[in-house]
Formats: sequence, C-alpha cells, structure tokens
Amino acid sequence: MEAPNPESSDSGAAPILRLENLSKDFASGKERLKAVENISLDINKGEFVVFVGPSGCGKSSILNMIAGLDQPSEGQILVDGKPVRRPHPDRLMMFQEHALFPWLNVIQNVAYGLRWKYRFKPRFRRNRARELLKMIHLEEFEKSRIHQLSGGMKQRAALARALAPDPTILLIDEPFPALDAMTRQKLYSDLQEIFSATHKTIVSVTHDTREAACLGDRIIIFTARPARFKSEILIDLPRPRDPNDPRVAEFAQKIMGELEGELDNEKDRLNGLR
Amino acid sequence: MRKTASTGYAKYYVPAFYLLLFTIWQLIIIFHIVPDYLFPSPFQVARRLWELGSEGRLWPSIQATLVRMSIGYSIALALGLTIGLVMGLSTIANKCMKSLFLGLQTLPTAAWVPISLLLFGLSDHGIYFVIIMSAMPAVAIATSDGILQIPPIYLRAARTLGTPSYAMPFRVVFPAALPTIVTGIKLGWTLGWHGAVSAELIKSSVGLGYLLLLGRELNDAAQVVGIMIITILFGLLLDRFLFGLIELGLRRRWGLVQAEQ
Repeated sequence: MEAPNPESSDSGAAPILRLENLSKDFASGKERLKAVENISLDINKGEFVVFVGPSGCGKSSILNMIAGLDQPSEGQILVDGKPVRRPHPDRLMMFQEHALFPWLNVIQNVAYGLRWKYRFKPRFRRNRARELLKMIHLEEFEKSRIHQLSGGMKQRAALARALAPDPTILLIDEPFPALDAMTRQKLYSDLQEIFSATHKTIVSVTHDTREAACLGDRIIIFTARPARFKSEILIDLPRPRDPNDPRVAEFAQKIMGELEGELDNEKDRLNGLR
Repeated sequence: MRKTASTGYAKYYVPAFYLLLFTIWQLIIIFHIVPDYLFPSPFQVARRLWELGSEGRLWPSIQATLVRMSIGYSIALALGLTIGLVMGLSTIANKCMKSLFLGLQTLPTAAWVPISLLLFGLSDHGIYFVIIMSAMPAVAIATSDGILQIPPIYLRAARTLGTPSYAMPFRVVFPAALPTIVTGIKLGWTLGWHGAVSAELIKSSVGLGYLLLLGRELNDAAQVVGIMIITILFGLLLDRFLFGLIELGLRRRWGLVQAEQ
C-alpha cells in the first residue's frame, strides 16, 4: 500500500470513497428491477456530499452498499482503495428511522459501538459517550429510555451513536423529514457544527432540496429509477449556513430545476423501489 | 388490556366479586341445593386446609411441587430458548420444527403422563419430563416468533456498529425479541404447572397432585377442592407477581405500556 495512513497523505490527493461503475438490481418476481445503474463517483476526505433524487430512485440503496449492508450487482466500492465487502464501524450509518435500541438506555446506546473496539476499557467507553451526549446537548438524558425522548432528541442520540466509534465516513439516510421545521433547523446547525469540528466525510441522502443546499459541499443529482448520475452542483457558501438564507434558497432552486424533469417521470412510476 | 383502576370504588370491585362468589357458594350448601357430602362448603374447605397445614402435610407438598417445577422448568427454558433461537435464525429449522411444536402444543399436558410412566417408571424424572414437554414448545415458539418479528433495522444498525456475529444472539437478537419471549415464558410456566400437577396425580407420594388424588381416594371432597384452590393460588401468584412484574417492567422500559392504552 502506498498510503497506509490516510491522515498523513494530503487531503484531496486520493479519494477516500470511490464508486466504480456501480449497479444494483433487485429481483421482483421473474423480472429484475434496476435500482442503480452505472454510477461512478469520487468523494474526497472531509467532503459533505448530498445525494438528491426523486424518492424511491435508489439513492438509499447506494448508501446501503457503501455501508456494506448490501452488495452491488456490478461494479465496486472502494474505501481507501480497498473494496467494501461488509459493514465496518469506519462507515457508520444514521438510519431513516432512528434505529436506537429500546432495550438500552440513551448512554448505553451511544456507547454501543465502542464495546468491541475498547472491550477492556469501560471507563473510556463511558467518558466518550458522555462527551458525545454533551456535544449534542443530551447530557441530562443519559439514563432516559429511548421512548421518553422526543423525535428530534432521538435523531440526535442516533447521531451521537454513529459518531462515537469515530468513523471516517458518516452516512445519513434521510433522517430528518419526520421532524418539525424548528427541530430540523436545530439538527442542521448541530450537524454543520459537528462537520466543521470533526472534518468527517459525510454522505447524506435526501429529497429535500433546501436541506441539500444547506448541508452539502457538493450535490449529486440522480435520475428517477434506475438511479443514474444526472449532474452535480458545487456549493461554496460559508458555514454555518442557515436554511432560510436567500443564497441557500437560490441553490435549492437550482437543484429543484435539475430535479424537475425527473419528478415528472416519477409520477409514472409510483410504487417504485424505496 | 388490564387496567389499573384505582379511582373511587373501583378497587373494591374485585374483592367484592370474590366475597359474593363465596357467599353464593356457602348459601347453596346452607339451603341444601347441593348436599354437603357431595360438595363441601367454603368453611369445610378452609377447615380441611387448616388441618392439613397443622398436621404438616400441606407445606411439604407445596414445596415438593415448587421444587419439581423449578428444576423441570429451568430445563424447559434452557431447551426452549436454545431451540427457539435456532428456529429464529434458520428458516429451514423454523419450517420443520414449528409444525411439530404446534402439534405438540395441541396435546393436553396430562397426555404426557402415560408415556413418562413407560419411560421413567415412578421416579421424579418422569415428572420433570412431563413439565419439560408441556412447557418447552410454548417457549420455543414464542422465542422464534419474537426473533422473526425483530425489525430488520435493529439488525442492520447492530451490524454497522461492529457487532461480531458471535455476539449477535445475546447483545441484539434476544434483547430485541424479549417482549415476545417473556410472554412465552409466562405461558410456558402455566403449561408446566398443569403438567406438574397432572404427573403428580399418578406418580408421587408428595406434592399437590398427590394430595388431590389422596382426597379422592378418601372420598374427601373438602380436601380435593381445597388443594384445587391452593394450586390455583400458587399458579396465579407466580404468574402474576413473578413473571407478570418482569413483563410489566420490560414493557415500561420499552415504552410499550403507554402505546397500548
């Protein structure tokens, strides 16, 4: 290996995440449905990339493949030059539903991903979990049960759980649409704060153009099913960004323009893959 | 859903119901609607139980049945949870075993007694056998159902968070399936309790089932009814206060209690 330690190499020199001719089919009865078709993409270290596409276009399956939860039908995904075969805590996912474990309390959930890496360091695990709870302003709720948290608090706890093992890549699968506007705005600013502080590589999926413009450095727009690369938009606005900033709105408009044609197509394809 | 009605007079309804039941029972005897040599009055039953207790014959029998239950049911639990785990993780095992266990569950627990006599003679092992065969299918089926109903998202989250496969059963699969499993554990206990008393009817010289049989042989209806009441009380006590509280605690932790009201 030429660069065994990615930290030492110049950021941006080699992509941390590379999708090569990625395709994914699903069996549906006798037919095979194409969900993702021939996507090639490089994502650099420390980049915040947002996938936008009509809902059900297959962008979530790209995320699942990056996480290692699904295998591509064709092509491959390389992380630091190595192909992805299975899930690994270096690539953590924040799921659409929070997916917090109801049999554990808040701090146990946040510390869960540290158990195997730091098996004999229970104190370290607890301190690390506390640190993260503090970062997302949930320190008073460490002993609470999951069902006692509000929707926004659950998503924040899920974010803390995904950040605890210090992944190099954070994957976010539309975790915000079920929340009210206020809560969402708070999450956007938390997420940007964390992004700026930790320099994580983040790949997120959404169909909300305003959210994409507020969060992403680079927006990748996909076609309706099967998901194919359509275009990309770079957003060079300073952070932290406010979703109500007119410049953000302008970019959102631009993304919407790219999407418009795809949304018409989508109407013919209701009941598509999720 | 059971409601915890504690407002106003509601908390007196249940005691009042039992008081009424016993009063009607006593009145039936007093007015000779049923002759008391056929069916005892509540007072006769209470007196007989008191006699059995003071002669030192009631408690050893209760104890014997409880000890048999704790041994037999522990084995049934260990087997049921293990088999249920295998059934929950392998679709083939589930398809094969589920029909078998559903079939075994249709068998009345007392139907295991003759075969246990043939296999184990009059030893206590036969009673354990009946308890295990009565309780284990319910535990196994509940365990596998619970595992199959786990939302896939928990398993996916656990895998991405680095859970090694050897740790999945105890860190994720069992905990996630626990609410359903506990229901099966309660049902298994009740069925095991039926099995224990049925087996004792035939093959023991101590135990609640034995006292029942003795009462019949001595034509002592008061003893038979008395032991029936004791059997119900202990079965209910353990079901409600041991397993019931575990279940309630679990449902509270998971937030399932509010959701169902």
